[in-house]
Amino acid sequence: MPHAPDPALMLPASQLAWIPLLPLSAFVLLILAGRRLGALAGWLTVASLAGAGLLTARIAPAVFDGATLTLRWAWLLAGNAGWTFGLAVDGLSWVMLAVVTSIGTLIAVYSIGYMQGDARFSRYFAYFSLFCASMLGLVMADHFVLLFACWELVGLCSYLLISFWFEKPDAAAAGRKAFITTRIGDTGLLLGIFLLAASAGTLSFRDLAAVREALRPELLTLISSLVFLGAVGKSAQVPLHVWLPDAMEGPTPVSALIHAATMVAAGVYLLARTFPLFTPESLALVLAIGLATHLLAGTVALTMTDIKRVLAYSTISQLGLMMTALGLGAVSLAMFHLAMHACCKALLFLGAGSVIHGTHQQDLAKLGGLRRTMPVTWITFLIAALSLSGAPLLSGFWSKDAILLEARHVNPPVFWALTGGALLTSAYLLRLFLRCFHGSPSPDAQHAHRAPFIMALPLAVLAAGAAGVGLVGTPWAGHVFFRMLAVHELHEGIEWSMLALSGALVLGGAWLAWTVGVRRRNLLPRSVRPLGSRLYALAVNKYYVDEFFNGTIIAVTASGARWLAWFDQRVIDGAVNVAGLAGARLGFGHGWWDRRVIDALVNGLASVVRAAGIAGRRLQTGLIQQYLLVVVAAAVVLSLWLRP
Amino acid sequence: MSVPLPWILYLSSALFSIGVYGMLTRRHAIGLLLSVELILNASVLNFVAFGRLYGNVHAQAFALFIIALAACEAVVGLAIIIGLARSAGTVFVDRLTLLKG
Repeated sequence: MPHAPDPALMLPASQLAWIPLLPLSAFVLLILAGRRLGALAGWLTVASLAGAGLLTARIAPAVFDGATLTLRWAWLLAGNAGWTFGLAVDGLSWVMLAVVTSIGTLIAVYSIGYMQGDARFSRYFAYFSLFCASMLGLVMADHFVLLFACWELVGLCSYLLISFWFEKPDAAAAGRKAFITTRIGDTGLLLGIFLLAASAGTLSFRDLAAVREALRPELLTLISSLVFLGAVGKSAQVPLHVWLPDAMEGPTPVSALIHAATMVAAGVYLLARTFPLFTPESLALVLAIGLATHLLAGTVALTMTDIKRVLAYSTISQLGLMMTALGLGAVSLAMFHLAMHACCKALLFLGAGSVIHGTHQQDLAKLGGLRRTMPVTWITFLIAALSLSGAPLLSGFWSKDAILLEARHVNPPVFWALTGGALLTSAYLLRLFLRCFHGSPSPDAQHAHRAPFIMALPLAVLAAGAAGVGLVGTPWAGHVFFRMLAVHELHEGIEWSMLALSGALVLGGAWLAWTVGVRRRNLLPRSVRPLGSRLYALAVNKYYVDEFFNGTIIAVTASGARWLAWFDQRVIDGAVNVAGLAGARLGFGHGWWDRRVIDALVNGLASVVRAAGIAGRRLQTGLIQQYLLVVVAAAVVLSLWLRP
Repeated sequence: MSVPLPWILYLSSALFSIGVYGMLTRRHAIGLLLSVELILNASVLNFVAFGRLYGNVHAQAFALFIIALAACEAVVGLAIIIGLARSAGTVFVDRLTLLKG
């Protein structure tokens, strides 16, 4: 489609910078003068994100025509060589921009209601804006260095927002855990970047295809595995997934935006962006980790009783699904699922936020029967749960089934594993839904108050998205989504067998959720029940990953730290104290010398002068007759002496 | 018949010595003043004696000046003594140690 785009619709490339700069300026304004803005602080964030969203919409036609909008500037020029870096928007970036700005705007609106009356209201929106600015910068970066800087910034915002209520020790600890755990992955990413810079000499994403030709496959495998390690940390893949469930200590809208829809998906985006670096070996690694994460997290989600933790494990599981798609080589499908999942999971979290806001309760055992008291939340939550479970014709169905279909063609064993994963997904989501909204109303549910309009509105908009946005990836809408990503081999028509399978999986999941999850029937034959309860204990304890880390890495680190503390106290401090003591003694000796010798000389001189004065003073009696006597005596002596 | 010069000089030396002795021994301020008069008069006697010896009248003029000066000095001295008696309450000079270091 090489027709020239309408110049009026073209966004000058220099305006690209405004997409991240709008939220960034909102951040600066809020951090400096947020207190004075009051309730306006939230609307400022909403306005900046909506502005960024409008700019994103304006560049859509140009991007759709296959153009890559770029804005570069020189940085660290040394002679002819040097680094340039800047912003570039192609289809992949545009999809992320659209997800971040649209969902970010909705969640910011929701946050105004959710955070009402919080003591640090404006501070929350300042962090929120900074996060959005960094996330937009991350997806627009055309260079590893800028991407890494934004990558760290979103990690920082994640840390700040998880421990936003730092008065709670749990929240503070969760923030630290998230920061340190993702840092392990970031170290891998950084090493990968160093290795790439040293071996290929370029870090620009434009050159990745050329780099693939130039480098040896083993080196590529190493680099891409290290980059993948960064994604494992950020996207909470096994074994670095442990931070995400704890991150639920943060405010719920934050969980929705950062820990479900956008930041954790940055790892998937990173892999999609650097996909040319991946070799079959590293893709096999991605596939294995992704699949393991998908299934393990899915089983844990079945056993959790905290609403947000169920959703956190569900997020981990879905991210695992995206990684699996990447491992299969289906970048566009992973991105498709990313966008759909962002929509559904943001909605699920916002629904959970409404429940928590309305009942001040997030334990499934104390919830139930909310259907009557919170109808809007009930219907939107149902749509999101069904959509993400893959109920036919809803958004989540299209993205998940595209991945299943791809797996069936490429790797049948993976297909069967993913079928099991899909069953788990619908089982845990519908269990959560049923136990929250159906059954006998709990005491808390009877006193629940409905979500205010400002919180219900984003729910409704997102519900429309969770139901219908998936159509952009279907033949009915001409595969708009995939043409945006410049993918041209498309399945024409609908695969009816997959639709039937998906419907069956959702129904099966619903039946399991009802009989096992709600009515607590044990379906296992009597002979395997001990094994079943042992597996249940394994899952409910999250496969003892936290305990494993506590027992190994953390224990080793802690004992090392204790030893170092001992060394510090005894040896370093000892040396310092000895030096100090020596100094004190030396000072004491010097003081003695000063007092006894130097001062004695000075005082002695003064005493001599004083003694002379005392003696001399005797002469001056003030008695004139004495003076006269001296005069007369002198005259007599002189007259005798001078006698001729 | 005239008095021989040496006698006059002996007399004047005696007057001077008595004056100096008085200066050194008197404690009373008026006593001191009297002693000063004796010393002055000893010198007047010397002037007159040597003037007669050389037939010079300037010496007698000098003697008149010294007498007038002595009168002035007595006036000033007595005024100081009265002032001392009023302010310090004493005219014994060894009590007056205001300037002693």
